[in-house]
Amino acid sequence: MATPTTATGPTTGPLAADFAAVLPDTCVITDEVGLRSYECDGLTGFRQVPAVVVLPRDAEEVAACVRVCARHGVPFVARGAGTGLSGGALPVADGVVISLQKLRRILEIDVENRRAVLEPGVFNLDITRAASPHGLYYAPDPSSQQVCTIGGNVAENSGGAHCLKYGFTTNHVLEMEVVLADGSLVTLGGPTGDQAGPDLRGLFIGSEGTLGICTKVTVRLLQTPESVRTLLADFPSIEAAGDVVGDIVEAAIIPAAVEMMDSLAMEAAEAATGAGLTVDAPAALIVELDGPADEVDAEFEHLTAICERHGATRLHVPTEAEERARVWKGRKAAFAAVGRISPDYIVQDGVVPRTRLAEVLTRIAEMGRDAGLRVANVFHAGDGNLHPLVLYSEAAGEHDAAEELSTQIAELCVELGGSLSGEHGIGTDKACSMPRMFSPDDLDVMHRVRLGFDPDSRCNPGKLFPTPRLCGERPGPYRPHPLEEAGVIERL
Amino acid sequence: MTDTQPPTHETGPSPDYTSERGEKAAPERADVLSGDFGSFDDHHPPAQELLDDCVHCGFCLPTCPTYALWGEEMDSPRGRIYLMEMAEKGEIPLEGAFTTHIDRCLGCMACVTACPSGVQYDRLLEATRPQIERNVPRSRADRLFREAIFTLFPYRRRLRAASLGGALYQKLRPATMDRLLAKLPRRLERLVAMESLLPPVSVRDAFARTPIFTPAVGTRRGRVGMLTGCVQDVFFHQVNLATVRVLAAEGHDVVAPAEQACCGALGLHAGREEESAERARALIAVFERAEVDVIAVNVAGCGSSMKEYGELLADDPVWADRAAAFSAKVRDVSEVLADALADSRAPRHRVDATVVYHDACHLGHAQKIRTQPRDVLRSIPGVTLTELPEAEICCGSAGIYNMLQPEAAGDLGRRKADNIRGTGADLLVTANPGCLLQIRKYLEGELPMLHPVQLLDASIRGVRPPGM
Amino acid sequence: MTTSDPTTVTPSSLEELRDAVLDRPGPIRVAGAGTAHDWAGTPAPAGTVLSTTGLSGIVTHNPGDMTAEVWAGTPFAQLQARLGEHHQRIAADPAREADGATLGGLFATADSGPRSLQYGSLRDVVIGATIVLADGTVARSGGHVIKNVAGYDLTKLLHGAHGTLGVLAALVLRLHPTPQVTATVAVPCDRAAMTDLARRVADSPVEAAAVAWHDGRLLALVEGSERGAEARARRLVETLGDEAGLLAPDDATAAWEAHDAAVRARPDDRAVLRFGVIPGSLSGVLDGLDTDTGGLTEVTASPRTGIATVALPADADVVAAAHRRVADAHGTSTLRQRPPGADLPAFGPAPASAALLRQVAASVDPDQRFGRGRLAPWLPLPSTTVGATA
Ligand SMILES: Cc1cc2nc3c(=O)[nH]c(=O)nc-3n(C[C@H](O)[C@H](O)[C@H](O)COP(=O)(O)OP(=O)(O)OC[C@H]3O[C@@H](n4cnc5c(N)ncnc54)[C@H](O)[C@@H]3O)c2cc1C
Ligand code: SF4
Ligand code: SF4
Repeated sequence: MATPTTATGPTTGPLAADFAAVLPDTCVITDEVGLRSYECDGLTGFRQVPAVVVLPRDAEEVAACVRVCARHGVPFVARGAGTGLSGGALPVADGVVISLQKLRRILEIDVENRRAVLEPGVFNLDITRAASPHGLYYAPDPSSQQVCTIGGNVAENSGGAHCLKYGFTTNHVLEMEVVLADGSLVTLGGPTGDQAGPDLRGLFIGSEGTLGICTKVTVRLLQTPESVRTLLADFPSIEAAGDVVGDIVEAAIIPAAVEMMDSLAMEAAEAATGAGLTVDAPAALIVELDGPADEVDAEFEHLTAICERHGATRLHVPTEAEERARVWKGRKAAFAAVGRISPDYIVQDGVVPRTRLAEVLTRIAEMGRDAGLRVANVFHAGDGNLHPLVLYSEAAGEHDAAEELSTQIAELCVELGGSLSGEHGIGTDKACSMPRMFSPDDLDVMHRVRLGFDPDSRCNPGKLFPTPRLCGERPGPYRPHPLEEAGVIERL
Repeated sequence: MTDTQPPTHETGPSPDYTSERGEKAAPERADVLSGDFGSFDDHHPPAQELLDDCVHCGFCLPTCPTYALWGEEMDSPRGRIYLMEMAEKGEIPLEGAFTTHIDRCLGCMACVTACPSGVQYDRLLEATRPQIERNVPRSRADRLFREAIFTLFPYRRRLRAASLGGALYQKLRPATMDRLLAKLPRRLERLVAMESLLPPVSVRDAFARTPIFTPAVGTRRGRVGMLTGCVQDVFFHQVNLATVRVLAAEGHDVVAPAEQACCGALGLHAGREEESAERARALIAVFERAEVDVIAVNVAGCGSSMKEYGELLADDPVWADRAAAFSAKVRDVSEVLADALADSRAPRHRVDATVVYHDACHLGHAQKIRTQPRDVLRSIPGVTLTELPEAEICCGSAGIYNMLQPEAAGDLGRRKADNIRGTGADLLVTANPGCLLQIRKYLEGELPMLHPVQLLDASIRGVRPPGM
Repeated sequence: MTTSDPTTVTPSSLEELRDAVLDRPGPIRVAGAGTAHDWAGTPAPAGTVLSTTGLSGIVTHNPGDMTAEVWAGTPFAQLQARLGEHHQRIAADPAREADGATLGGLFATADSGPRSLQYGSLRDVVIGATIVLADGTVARSGGHVIKNVAGYDLTKLLHGAHGTLGVLAALVLRLHPTPQVTATVAVPCDRAAMTDLARRVADSPVEAAAVAWHDGRLLALVEGSERGAEARARRLVETLGDEAGLLAPDDATAAWEAHDAAVRARPDDRAVLRFGVIPGSLSGVLDGLDTDTGGLTEVTASPRTGIATVALPADADVVAAAHRRVADAHGTSTLRQRPPGADLPAFGPAPASAALLRQVAASVDPDQRFGRGRLAPWLPLPSTTVGATA
């Protein structure tokens, strides 16, 4: 597959020249227009032009590129599809971007053993597309599944609507090939869930590209469930919808997915997709049950009873696969669709213990009122993962207020015993909030582990860890964990 | 979605976020506002509001053919929009890399379908291409080559000559064309691409005319005007005849005015705005005189341009209203036929075949016409429709793209051919001559390829479909 | 300090644990209930045995959130019983549970049982941890919510670390509801037939939670609601043919207990090896090992996960050859039970990642204070084995 020559020259500096020695010219980008195209990922607030962008075509070439970086002592940043929402793939000044978008082959779909071997640039949804003729699928399904890559998923430990029941990327990756900062190739994990020695695989997953570049991934495939039933239910209040979630759990039902949307989010999603959401309902739940038909039928009855008990104003049961797909399309398009009801917005990502959902939503509404900004909510209610969308107008000068509100919301989640991020990662965006969640010792240990992988910190530096340069004067005071305050745990 | 796919997860073609997009009102024309347009001139630069709609989410990347080939950000919709923004801010010049990456865009509009945020890339591209044509000096070779194409293509007579090939072609080829080709440096690649696309055509077909008036069979449903097209009428004359027969069989009087010429689509998509506007005016006038209820088009690329005449001529005080009225009448032939399905007049005969339908970009992405042709095909007893993997990705034809960017077009053509082969279908149908020409090049002789109306026509007439 | 006379300390709070690590000089061997004292490598002499058994009990359990934080020294069986009062459980069933193994011990040894087919191993249900490092640093990672991607998942580093790198003080777990009904379907079959039968289980829509072969039978476990589980088990019986049958509850319990007993067995003069290969290779590797070793005993195998536990002669060459055979099939293997004093290789040939492991170990426990020898030879003993570092 030849790339037409971009207006690039391999002659801009010794670094580019060394890359040109290991890659064809067309895979080394040094022209300004090309470089600037890579200056940001899905979070456009942070931009940095890299020195060089390289597009290796296989694992060996990735390793060769990393060795060139090592020789020159320059940092590098791996990049998948660049859909990350925390600035994880933001280039580093004078650094190299290593794009994995030419490593896009599905190497194997092993039906008998239910696994797929993939290059890192394979789009998440393409795994399921390749597996589905065999009655199999790949479970983690981020809303961005049609475009995010399995390598990015590994780096962010991505999850999706169905991770309540099926877990995250880490629960589905068996084995990985990784290029370390010195350019060596190692295999982490093993063919089963039983690795020998420490689980370095699990450590790597979710490390946001700071421990190396993943060049091959073996994932588990699951059998397509016999039966899937989806319920779309409207409720008179967010609280009522929240109570339903509690009761579902109480009833020992583990739904495949429980998603909640508020009226503002539904307005946007409906405008984009016509998915059949009730625009003026205060809250709606999408609940999906899947599994053997015998189980699903029994649980579904129970589920409708719970919804009715909590005053559901509408119960819609899409029966056709197409209708169900439309409901999901509405949900999955919600983020990007908010672009239709507001000129600008920030997607926040935080987690609270499920039982504190109603509380956190009330607080968010108050904070929004105080800041004079609208907040739409789309979230994975089953696991307490919130995605408040702070709507604002850049033109009206509301940017800073919106940023502040968004950060406050994430930190509120930590205060309520939750997490700064459920799926989008820390990246550049939240590095400065890390001290709210972790003590200096916690962070120090993470850093020491990192040095074991990458002694010179050349893998995606400046991400995940708070750095004085990034955070200025604002590392924030250490706050005790709520359980610590309650005297339940102690920490030193 | 087919049955084998897992019920919980979206598979198959990527979701279409535009089908219900409820077109936004046309943005304020940037040119009537005063302002600084960076590297663009002030004649309809891409509107800032349209650029702002892009939230950089990347949902459009997997459907973009050039991104599928190379995986480079600059050759993706998100990247191209980003380049437009930079140009709008004056941070990069139009000349050089900007032009390279915009030139490589196939204009397939798959990105418009994929975008959840409602970005109107179609409008952005239509605003950007003329900026390049006006402001970027092309290399001599490039300029001459483009001229050569536009000297040949939109002219039925010259195409007829070209279609005959060999000595006759040399003789009948317009002198201007000869002069142009003579001046071209040895850009063999491109020439080979151009010539090899032209299929051999029987002399009879090449010079045949579509009947000017064909009366409806049985009770009359309406009076349909028909675009005969330039490439279509020469190389796919049989498609035009089939269209006439099928429309008549379904109860339409069919009018195909003899004086109609090229609709200007090829030029419009290449940024030749003025030339296209002129052709549009002429075509509008022809069909006004024909007094038809509906204008049926069997070439996806032409139909999508004709539906946009209203916008193309919006600035023209004399023509704006007439153009809008014209555009409102334009329908793809499959829309007209699908409407008739509920009360079909023409009985079908069985055609036992597994048929794979390829969505032409200008039909699927640009006109959002996906179900109608499938419904029409399903109305033929015995036909089993199968779906194509990577259905949303362009075959590489894209107007004159396969001549301007032969290498990329070749890679895309082979990719499409592999996918078609993989379905094991007996027959390929697609509603655009460009796609047929392009795909034929990579699947020559492997399976018959038809326009949907040809299959329907065979079924109605109870004859074997051509090539089967 | 003499090697034969280590001091045992049993802290009962995080503070005491940290103090013990800081106050005691030199190498420390971490011990839970001692059910895996002979697993992995041979521990080098250590002046201190740090028992986690004093760190026991549930720190916090929030049934509504289905999470619990638990001290690492809590006996697993006891923990399950407590959670069971709320109709919740940890979805893991390691055989050593019955011997009193602690949660931390099971995690550190990466132990898992047949239900790992559906739920994964403990690494999949632990969502956070409090860890004490050799220099007394106390670090937390993860948190109390199921979904959390903030920071490194440090907890994973201690899964399978066999008491090296750091001490687990407490773990946070995601819980699952206790199923109303469990039912077991059994089919008599020899080992050669297990792969095909297990494939039939997997291809049927009933979603078995576990499939294991032991003692001439394939067992398939179905868990679920009252109405659903029985119906599914019956469907499974139909799928598996005439010889398959639904076991009566007592028989089912006995069958799984016999399976677990084989996994835990300490047969005389034999060593126990645990290995995992790609499921399709399992049968072949078992047959090869049978030939190599003159006959495996206590075989339990999970034909859908590719994991098996087998006993073979406690001979260094035999064990090394077995490790090699597994490695040749691209699998992983770890030595488990062995006769007292037997010096046997713990792991197969060192993979490329062993160098990485050494670097990480050097960064978090530079003096190899914890569990010295357990990961040898991948993590070799330090060349100077002298004492105090405090
Ligand atoms: C509209 C929208 C919806 C989203 N919904 C979800 C959701 O539901 N759930 C969810 O989890 N996320 C979601 N995301 C976030 C994002 O899609 C995920 O984080 C995704 O995993 C990123 O993949 P990517 O290929 O785009 O990676 P990139 O953005 O390119 O990179 C992300 C990080 O991974 C690193 N990286 C990339 N490839 C590799 C590699 N091969 N080896 C090592 N490191 C690598 C990069 O350095 C960077 O730090 C959403 C994003 C958008 C825009
Ligand atoms: S029109 Fe087609 S080629 Fe151009 S950017 Fe959009 S998807 Fe890519
Ligand atoms: S064009 Fe649409 S889909 Fe593509 S990046 Fe922009 S907003 Fe996303």
